[in-house]
Amino acid sequence: MSLRAVFEGRPDRRYVMFGGKGGLGKTTLSATSAFWLASHGKRVLLFSVDPQASLSDIFQRDIFGKGPVSIMPNLWAQEVDADQRIREYQDEIRKKIIDMYGFEQVPEEIDNYIAAASAEPAMEESAIFDAVVDIIVQGDYDYYIYDLVPLGHALYYLSMAKVYDEWINKITKLREDMRQYDQVAATMRRQETVEEDKILEELQYIKTRINASSQILTDKRRTAFFFVLVPEDMIILDTRKAAELFARFDVPISGYVVNRVLPPELDRASIPAYLRSRISMQQRHLEGIRTEFGDQVLAYVPEMERDVTGLPMIERLAERLFGNGR
Amino acid sequence: MAESKEPKRGRFLGVFRDIVYGMSSHEMTRHAVRTRASMEHLFILITMGDLLGIPILPPYYSLRLLPYVTPQITSWKRRMLRERDITDILG
Repeated sequence: MSLRAVFEGRPDRRYVMFGGKGGLGKTTLSATSAFWLASHGKRVLLFSVDPQASLSDIFQRDIFGKGPVSIMPNLWAQEVDADQRIREYQDEIRKKIIDMYGFEQVPEEIDNYIAAASAEPAMEESAIFDAVVDIIVQGDYDYYIYDLVPLGHALYYLSMAKVYDEWINKITKLREDMRQYDQVAATMRRQETVEEDKILEELQYIKTRINASSQILTDKRRTAFFFVLVPEDMIILDTRKAAELFARFDVPISGYVVNRVLPPELDRASIPAYLRSRISMQQRHLEGIRTEFGDQVLAYVPEMERDVTGLPMIERLAERLFGNGR
Repeated sequence: MAESKEPKRGRFLGVFRDIVYGMSSHEMTRHAVRTRASMEHLFILITMGDLLGIPILPPYYSLRLLPYVTPQITSWKRRMLRERDITDILG
C-alpha cells in the first residue's frame, strides 16, 4: 500500500499526523502531504503544535501567530504562538474576575498568581494543547494535518490528556459531592433551590475540551498517524520503542514512511568509498525495515539534492511521493 | 378582626417551625455546611495548590476556575497556613 492509497482509500481519516524523532522530516512530509491534498481540491489546514515551529521556514513566509494563513488555493498553514495565547488567556481571566465582583482591579495576590502561572512548566504545552482544540472544533477543513512535536513531546501530550482527564474526573466528583451537601443544607433550611454551581459547569466544559483532543488522537476511524523514520540503526530502534508506547496510548498507527533514502543507482557510479559505505549501510537497514515493518511501510522517500523549502521544491517532492497522476 | 388573627397565627407557626428546626435539624445543617466548607477548601487546594507553593498540576485549566474561588482565597490560605496543635485533633 502507498501513502496515496491510504489517503484515497480512507477519506474519512481527516486528522493526519506525522510523528517521529526530531529532524527526520516530519514537517517536510506534513507540508508535502498537505500540498498534494490541496492540489487535489481538498481544503487543508496544516498547523504546528511545536513551540519551535518550522512551517514558516518551509513555506518561506512568516506565519507565526497569525492564525490560518493562505499558502495556495485550498491550503492554509498555522503556527500557534503559545506566549501570545497565554497572555490573552491571562487577560481574559483578569477581566472575568473584575466583571464578576465589580473590582477596580484584580487583588494583588490573585494577580500575582495569574502572572506567575505563565512561568510554570508545561503552561506552554497546555496552551498549545488548548489551541489545538480550538483549531479542530472551529474550522471547516476537509483535512487537518498536525505538524507534530518530536516523539517525547508527542507522548507527553498524550499522557497529559490522560492525566488531565483523570484529574478532572476526580475534582468533578468532589464538586458533585459538595453539591449534595448544598442540597441537604438547603432542604433542611426549607430553601427551594440551590444556586447553580458555575464551577461544575466550568469543569464539564474543560472535560469536553480535553476529550475532544484526546479522542481525535486515538480515533481509528478519523485519524491517520504515520511514523517517519530514516534507515539508521538508532532511529529504527527508537521508532520501535515509540510505536510500542503509542500503541499503549491507543494511537492508531497507519503506517511508516522511510525518509532520506539515498538513491541506490548512485552505487553504480564512481563514488567515494565514504558514500559507498553509507549506501550499503542504508541498504542493510532498509532490508531490516522491510522485514520488520513489511507492507506497513507506505513510502520510501529519496534524499533530495537540496533542502525542501518553498512551494516548487515541495511540489517536486509531492510528485516523487504521490506520483504525477491526478 | 379575622385579618389580624391570620398573621398572628402565621407568626406563631413560623416561630414554632423555627424552634422545631433548631431542635432537630439545625445541628445537621451546620454539619452539612461545615463539611461543604471543608470540601471547598480541599477543592481549592487541588486546583490552586500553586498559591501555597504546592504544584499539583499545570495551572492552565485551573486558571479558568480562579474567578469563581477568588472570594474564598484569603480564608482558605488562612485556614491552610494556620498553626495547629493538639486541641485541633481533640476538637
